[in-house]
Amino acid sequence: MSHRPGRDRDWTTGLPDAPAARVTGLTVTSAAGRHLVREAGLTLRPGRLVALTGPSGSGKTTLLRALTGLLPPGTARTAGHVEVLGHDVLALPQRELRALRRDRLAHVGQDPASGLNPWMRVDSLVRELAADRSTDPVALLDEVRLPDGARLSGRRPGALSGGQQRRVALARALARRPDVLLLDEPTAGLHPGLRDEIGDLLQHLAREHRLAIAFSCHDAGLVGRIADDVVRLGAAVPHRPVTAAGRPPAPPGAGATGATGADGMAGTAAAADTTDTFDTAGASGAAGTAGTASKTSTASTTGTSDTANTTGVPLLAVRDVSVTFGRGAAPVLRDVGLAVAPGTAVGVVGASGCGKTTLARVVVGLQAVTAGSIALDGVPLRPGPRGRAREQRRRVQLVTQNPLGALNPSRTVGDTVGRPLRLHRRRPARQVPARVTELLEQVGLDPEYAGRYPHELSGGQRQRVAVARALAAEPDVLICDEITSALDGGTAEAIMDLLGGLRARHGPALVLISHDLPLVADRTDTVTVLDAGRVVESGRTADVFTAPAHPATAALLSRAVTGR
Amino acid sequence: MTARARPGASARRRRTATAVRVLPALLLVCLALAGPWLTPHPVDTPVTGPYAPPGAGTPLGGDQLGRDVLSRLLAGGRELVVSSLVVALLVTGGAAVLGAVGALRPAVGRLVERTADLLMLLPAVLGILLVTLSWPDGGRLAVIAAAVGLGVPYAVRLAVSAAAPVAASGYVEAAAAGGERLWHLVVRDVLPNLRATLLALFGLRFVAAVYVVATAGFLQVGPQPPAADWALMIRENGAGILLDPWAVLAPSAAIGLLAMSVNLAAAALAPRTGREAVTAR
Repeated sequence: MSHRPGRDRDWTTGLPDAPAARVTGLTVTSAAGRHLVREAGLTLRPGRLVALTGPSGSGKTTLLRALTGLLPPGTARTAGHVEVLGHDVLALPQRELRALRRDRLAHVGQDPASGLNPWMRVDSLVRELAADRSTDPVALLDEVRLPDGARLSGRRPGALSGGQQRRVALARALARRPDVLLLDEPTAGLHPGLRDEIGDLLQHLAREHRLAIAFSCHDAGLVGRIADDVVRLGAAVPHRPVTAAGRPPAPPGAGATGATGADGMAGTAAAADTTDTFDTAGASGAAGTAGTASKTSTASTTGTSDTANTTGVPLLAVRDVSVTFGRGAAPVLRDVGLAVAPGTAVGVVGASGCGKTTLARVVVGLQAVTAGSIALDGVPLRPGPRGRAREQRRRVQLVTQNPLGALNPSRTVGDTVGRPLRLHRRRPARQVPARVTELLEQVGLDPEYAGRYPHELSGGQRQRVAVARALAAEPDVLICDEITSALDGGTAEAIMDLLGGLRARHGPALVLISHDLPLVADRTDTVTVLDAGRVVESGRTADVFTAPAHPATAALLSRAVTGR
Repeated sequence: MTARARPGASARRRRTATAVRVLPALLLVCLALAGPWLTPHPVDTPVTGPYAPPGAGTPLGGDQLGRDVLSRLLAGGRELVVSSLVVALLVTGGAAVLGAVGALRPAVGRLVERTADLLMLLPAVLGILLVTLSWPDGGRLAVIAAAVGLGVPYAVRLAVSAAAPVAASGYVEAAAAGGERLWHLVVRDVLPNLRATLLALFGLRFVAAVYVVATAGFLQVGPQPPAADWALMIRENGAGILLDPWAVLAPSAAIGLLAMSVNLAAAALAPRTGREAVTAR
């Protein structure tokens, strides 16, 4: 990628090391008077990668937005300076700020889909902002490690997976050849191999093209590998111990007890049990999961064929499901089967874009199927939410990949979490607030959050509210679609330990959809591998991961190993 | 150092600004509602000469029969304001519910939109005449019915397209998958997130309602003389506009100011930050 020559770069000519952007003592306060960012400092230099880390809710997103000169509505800078390319962006007139943002600054938000016009095709989206209109969009897509660019460039964002959308948004940002690149969680929702490739790409951009890059990230490994400087933001609000800043994901025992705390639910004993298996698995890698699987006596006996051949009736059975978007298009899912026995954990893994999310939507009835059937306890479910009884809908809950749109912006967190309790009559009305407090504590949120609205929460906090809402319905099957991709390492471990603990206490069976293979390897009994909409392999997690029979599984595994 | 206004102070200033923008509409509506009790002279007996220019006791002069224009102005707004507010509320509310249901149930949505397309072809004046002539005893009710019937098709098209992205959002899907009924989805999940659009729509429909109700008055299908009514005043006093311009200008200005101030208030009340932010999908 060649950088635009002849650009007015007064800040590089004289002083090669002059900072491209500098933030000093920045404090941003919300309308209610809470500090979103407190006394933050940051220096970006051309050719250097700066990582922003910190627990969710510590102000990473707000700080990146401050660099673009656009603070979230309702918030104000109460102290400090933000200087980008020699301008104080928070005091710059609109016109100049726009020119600066158009030509020199690129920002990719946490929710890449919301930045993509759903009616534009990928190639126009990429070309729209390009400094050079003759740019070949396919080459740019290649650059952001989106192979198949030629095939994807005719699609609209709605037909892309979460990971693909993220890379299109990145390609769009790079197309205009900025001087400063700001990325909010650029690797969330990508599988480990891809995460590393994007990391390498960022490093390459910084080194070769002298870009000043700031990115927020909660993947400690990636930050340690590619970042030149790390800025650690502290929690702006007091947190439960589980979310305490910078807790390394190493001692899972601490995470488990912290997550379940002394709240009386999900007893510590159960959490300790999962901790135990985690240690085993962690010690000896994938092979160790053999112990996990055999120890959990309720492991489903799904064979290696894609349809279930359990001895009893599985709790949830998906048979030969096919889904096609639009007429004549290639199917997104083809003859997919999945069986979940009561109390087990089932993993669904596959590369980005292989149909994992579509499968989740089919199971909860949000996506109509072209063929196939879904049964709960042997009773067939209608292939759409409307035909299903309320009790059937309660028993299968989904936590989606994108936490930003998952909460009603007009309702408080307490209202959102309390609603399933009332709807499904899980608790008498008087006990609802107490149960909401309990659920929020379980997912590691301060009960004080019950009074807040979703826009006051960070992405990770919203994801935890979504988990609490799903748990409130007391489901029999909980489907988690990449729920940890928006969480920092410590919180992700704690949430997974919480779910594992609940499951061990006759809680919901889990369907973990993920590309994070270690996560699936440690916490599931059986696993199904999807590739391009087909089940290529399924069986006991230990068997599949120790002796992968299909090249796609092997590829996923090798990427996971090199990615760590 | 570069401390801007403290957040508490800025919030207070924002509230003041909203109040200032809501105030004119509130004053005008209250004045129109209370007007009939404030008249200095009876509205149906002459107190001065026909088309008398402003003088002592009659600051806006007399109308075609010598009745006090100020008194008739104060008394003539209530019905117009009440009818228009009722029409605007019914149209906006009806369109919002139809729009939200239409967005959540595409089959219903297609039916609603096609019906609206058909009804839109009916010219407003023809519609009023049709309803009021086929229901001669209807009076105000007939005018309100006609105005609602004419307004809903326009409003519903807008409401359906505004509700579509909300209906496709993650939280509506989550609620639907979680077992919520259609009514709950409409009332709790979709409509609260359309507040800004619906308030703007309310302002627009209020202006349109004033227009339809005033047209009816002008055509004498609503209020009949000798009742005091702004639209009726404009019609009756048109002939004497050069002798006492206030007899026509005052009710015209009242109608215009009412429409503008209600729109201003609706815009001021629409939420601007945070909570209305909707992320589709």
